[in-house]
Amino acid sequence: MNAPIHRLLAGAALLALGAPAPVAAADAFMIGITADITGPNGIDGGPTADALRIYFDRVNAQGGINGKPVKLDVRDNQSQGARAGADAKSYTSDDDIVLIVNASLSPTYEPIMTESRRAGMPVLFAGGVCPKEVFPPADPLMFCTSAFAAEKDTEFAVTYAHEASGGKAVLGMVSTAIPISRAGLEHGIQVAEKKGLKVVAHETIPPPTPNYAPFATKLKDSMMDWGVTWGPWSVQVRIFEAMRQLGWNGRFLLYGHSVSEDEVARLKDPGLLLFRTSSMFADGLPVHKDVMAAAEGKTKYPTTYMSEGWVAAQAIEAALKKVAWPPSRAKVTEAMNDIIIDTKGLRGQPIVWTKTNHFRTESSYRVYAWNAAENKPKVVKDWAKVEIK
Amino acid sequence: MQVLANLVVLTAIYALISCGYVLIYRVSRVLNLAHGELMMLGAYLLFTLASLFKGGPELAFAGAVGLSLLVGFVLYVVLMRKMTGELVIAAVLVTIALGILLRGLMVLIWTARDLHPISVLGWKNPPVPLGGGTSISSVALATILVAVVLYLALMLFFRYTRWGLQMRAVGERPLLAAQRGIKLHAVYALAWALSTFSGGLAGMLLALDSGLGSTMVIVGLKAFPAALVGGLDSLLGAVVGSFIVAAAEILAIHFIDPLISDVVPFVVLIAMLLVRPWGLFGTKEEIERV
Repeated sequence: MNAPIHRLLAGAALLALGAPAPVAAADAFMIGITADITGPNGIDGGPTADALRIYFDRVNAQGGINGKPVKLDVRDNQSQGARAGADAKSYTSDDDIVLIVNASLSPTYEPIMTESRRAGMPVLFAGGVCPKEVFPPADPLMFCTSAFAAEKDTEFAVTYAHEASGGKAVLGMVSTAIPISRAGLEHGIQVAEKKGLKVVAHETIPPPTPNYAPFATKLKDSMMDWGVTWGPWSVQVRIFEAMRQLGWNGRFLLYGHSVSEDEVARLKDPGLLLFRTSSMFADGLPVHKDVMAAAEGKTKYPTTYMSEGWVAAQAIEAALKKVAWPPSRAKVTEAMNDIIIDTKGLRGQPIVWTKTNHFRTESSYRVYAWNAAENKPKVVKDWAKVEIK
Repeated sequence: MQVLANLVVLTAIYALISCGYVLIYRVSRVLNLAHGELMMLGAYLLFTLASLFKGGPELAFAGAVGLSLLVGFVLYVVLMRKMTGELVIAAVLVTIALGILLRGLMVLIWTARDLHPISVLGWKNPPVPLGGGTSISSVALATILVAVVLYLALMLFFRYTRWGLQMRAVGERPLLAAQRGIKLHAVYALAWALSTFSGGLAGMLLALDSGLGSTMVIVGLKAFPAALVGGLDSLLGAVVGSFIVAAAEILAIHFIDPLISDVVPFVVLIAMLLVRPWGLFGTKEEIERV
């Protein structure tokens, strides 16, 4: 009878001696990143995840934050809700993880937010559209650093078209067959009508289409001389190119995702106008040189795609610096609820989060166009501030 | 006039893609559901070769076309050959798995970002005026020409060449064909090679015209109704089916709602399945066997 007990005790002693010491919460700041790396939004999620990794590798090499390293647990959710939900569950069940970063499409939002609320875990949305929960009055646990916000962006674009055309623009609006894009353009139409601008077309384009010419034909036939679009870059640029193929020579405002910097150089079309809340690497600010130097050879993506992830990393670093050791989800949330994030010029102004606004209290827009003389993009309208209420 | 030009271009695109579905189906009765991925692979091969052989765009293009042919042959030898004698549904499932695998691999290798092989090749894509204010892109014109040449070449191949006759024989009576000394595996491998060749060509032309991204797979799937509407074992049917699907799509864009254009090919497909499940030019018995 005693023999098995002795064996069990001996076994337990051996296990205790041989087992590695449990990782103490004091070892590092642990962050879970669930991103669309190989899915439909890999173009945003992949570079965002890479930028976060590159940024914190460098932070760790320089001694970490308040002397502690930052460890990332990166997972690919392919913008699938079930996968993202499983990632979130895994992160929330790990007591050491104090923050989740989500860089994927909106189908992942609800599963992550549900899990986050259950566990009191703050979530940072980066590189994907900001959910409504971050706008005033903000959900206490949801934050967003993404550069874009459909309705605010189209509002600015229409205002710019009005201003640049002297109130004479005849607008054609192009949205993608996704709710956020359609809502953004519908809002843009309302703004245009309030300003007295004529909107002659609003076409919604399904993204996987083999030929954009039929859509472009309809838009061209509407006699629009200004175009406004907001959505995935591939649809925005393909409809623009199709219209140029048909001989349309008006001006087209496209929302300038990270990829747009390379694209404007490819197209070299002065009628293509990019409205952005991020500066371009062609501006050559010290932060741009810094990002390019840090990312060179460490990502499969062009270094100009790193902006979204870099800003998210800056936000995380700023928040963690305010967290007294040992960290907890509540402490990180509290730090994020009242913070000013210096983007060093990657954005038009610092990102300010308050208790009720987890998007930003102000946003700034710039418009870029191709400058053939200097063979690089130029600013055609400098930072214009928009208050976010 | 512009609407008509758009219709011809879209028909040519669908015809080029659906050709690949028909080539494999008419010989082996296997529906290749990885065709969209293989089409995209052809486009990525073009991009890669264009990056490797800068200054030699023709060589890069010819190399990509040749590799597309080879990919089909290798896929048959390595993967599909083992499905011979198994249920057709098992082979179709293998093609689905192949598609998933290829999609994942392509994202891992080339990432999800949009690529523009035409820029790397150093080619331009200016509009070609057709008169009356109508124009199409140079690549669109090339797509029409390539589709016409390919279909003519295939029709001549099936009618007048030894291999073409063998492929028809295997498609109609595989057992009898084998008994008469036709090498079934060689014929099937050729069908796969020609299918990936035509699909790859379609992918390359699409990528040259409007860029290369991960949504190309869905474009490949959208051409599937064209093949089914025309009849899965008929090349002529593929052209007619492509025309019908393209016309329905373009009319929906112009006269109903552009959003509907996305589902119109599948509405046409369902209508055809209800009325004539073997398609306009398909063989009734063949479909029943499937």
